[in-house]
Amino acid sequence: MSQSNEPSSAAVIDTNANETNLSEQIVPMWRQRLRIFTHNKLAIASLLFIVALVLFCYLGPVLYHTNQTDQAAALNVAWNAPPSLHHLLGTDSSGFDVLGRIMYGGEYSLSLGILAGIITIIVGTIYGMISGFLGGIVDTVMMRILDAFLSIPILFLLITLIAIFQRSTVFLILIIGTTLWFGNARIIRGDALLIKKLEYSQAATAMGGSKWHIIKRHVFPNSMSNIVTVATFSVADAILFLSTLGFLGLGIPAPQTDWGTMMQNGATQQPNGYWWEIYPTAVVFVLLIVAITYVGEALRDAFEVRLLER
Amino acid sequence: MLIYVLRRLVQSFIVLLIVMLFIFTLPYFEPNGILAPAYIVLGTHATPQTIHLWGVQNGMFHPFFVRFWNYLLQVFVHFNLGHSYKQNMSVWGIISLYVPRTIWLALSSLLLTVFIALPLGVYQASRRNSTFDYTATSVAFILYGVPSFLLGILVLQFFSFGWPHLPASPPGGVSPWAMFTDPAGFILPVLTLTLLSIAFLSRFMRSAVLEVLVQDYVRTAKGKGCSQSRVLFRHALRNALGPIVIILGLYIPQLLGGAVVIESVFNYSGLGIQTVNAAATLDIPTVLGITLLVAILTLFGNFLADIMLGVVNPRVRIERSGQ
Repeated sequence: MSQSNEPSSAAVIDTNANETNLSEQIVPMWRQRLRIFTHNKLAIASLLFIVALVLFCYLGPVLYHTNQTDQAAALNVAWNAPPSLHHLLGTDSSGFDVLGRIMYGGEYSLSLGILAGIITIIVGTIYGMISGFLGGIVDTVMMRILDAFLSIPILFLLITLIAIFQRSTVFLILIIGTTLWFGNARIIRGDALLIKKLEYSQAATAMGGSKWHIIKRHVFPNSMSNIVTVATFSVADAILFLSTLGFLGLGIPAPQTDWGTMMQNGATQQPNGYWWEIYPTAVVFVLLIVAITYVGEALRDAFEVRLLER
Repeated sequence: MLIYVLRRLVQSFIVLLIVMLFIFTLPYFEPNGILAPAYIVLGTHATPQTIHLWGVQNGMFHPFFVRFWNYLLQVFVHFNLGHSYKQNMSVWGIISLYVPRTIWLALSSLLLTVFIALPLGVYQASRRNSTFDYTATSVAFILYGVPSFLLGILVLQFFSFGWPHLPASPPGGVSPWAMFTDPAGFILPVLTLTLLSIAFLSRFMRSAVLEVLVQDYVRTAKGKGCSQSRVLFRHALRNALGPIVIILGLYIPQLLGGAVVIESVFNYSGLGIQTVNAAATLDIPTVLGITLLVAILTLFGNFLADIMLGVVNPRVRIERSGQ
């Protein structure tokens, strides 16, 4: 990636403040990165949206009481009722309040997506680090295994795994988490390969540092930026795949729900003109994915060394 | 070059073996073990005796490695993918019925994508930060956030239930040539798959061209008086094609995965729906056969991408022959 000799951040600041006392002028790295991130207005808006959505999903039910789990009680409510004062976004085909359902389904979509995303990044990081750092025959074998996984469409793999295991929440997290890490492992491996060859790692090796020590103190902290960025995209991917599974009828079993399952139910009612059962969920969902992706892009920019001098 | 091709072939074969071993091992983790399909095939009235009999008939009680070896022999020596547990057909029969239908869907949208996304990316890069660039980038961004099934539903809503009344689903049946005999039904599914792919590819194309445009040889080309279009299409595009070709090779499994969703939204009987059904009913021979086929397609795509890389980029060609 970095063919040119990039100026280190210290050198950049050095040229900016050549007359004054240097120690006063050095801005910590994280603050420079924060500044680049906050320069990006859209990223801040996205971050605020994500926070607002999380609050809406987890604190909303406290303010807006609805029945979301009792299917028998929901049968007494008018089904497919249009939005009214009583049900702000109407009711769905089972009689559940749609606005409350968005909060309730959002809790599952968000928590499953985030947990599965964290699993993918942990597994991917460990696999990529080992493969890239050890190199040689271990790397070749591990990469061929990765090639094998990458040549199966992820959706096929997910469907097969869900057919074999159960459709419970825990298994969905584990299944999505263990099928989406292949791409992450490849990125982290590239990073580990690169950092291993850099001077400071070689110096540490020359001074007799063990492999574990070099991974822990040099390779891992220096690829942290990539790990964080990749993790953001992984969460978006996990939420997307969960919704696709929900659409195929393989999501969280009723009466629990997630946004994908809700959109699937809404899609069957949409030809009847019951727009409130699909469009509000769809808008929230798409905005969330776009926001997460945008935060990821902004993080990537913030960690980009070449932009530090801005 | 020949040695390079041979080495790639051996590597691809090993990758195939890993894929097969993986899918073959999965059923062993089912709570009912490898007899789990028996419960689905024989239905609710199955007795322990009939289930045991089914296991004996299908050779389920052999040790794992014996079973895997037999399967390998069956596939690579006898070219037989086995018999479906659930449908009364051979796996090859299922594949040959449905593959052409999915391939037409995927291939036509892939071609459309390349013809639209590449010029779009070049144009965006050449008009960087213009209104058009911003608009195209944000549209691609939003499309990227829309799950494929939702895009399908929206397309249906606006183009089939709305004013331009296009058929909501392609013709049924299993005719492989349906795309040519009744093309109107294919407009919406192909359009949806194409939109998704364009959102994916045009961003890569834009950044690839942008990276090339700052290179010295582009400046030289401008300096010696080449026209704008000549610089863009002769100098920039050709050099930007390298990474795009690789990405296209890697995109094949995603495209087929997207076809699964598109097929179920538009109710088009193809390989995707067959896979979902086979996986849901634990029809392991069918899942294995289809996965094997998709893996071969992917590996072939990656292989082709590597060869194409040599075609579009002479430097790679020299590097390889020099090794």
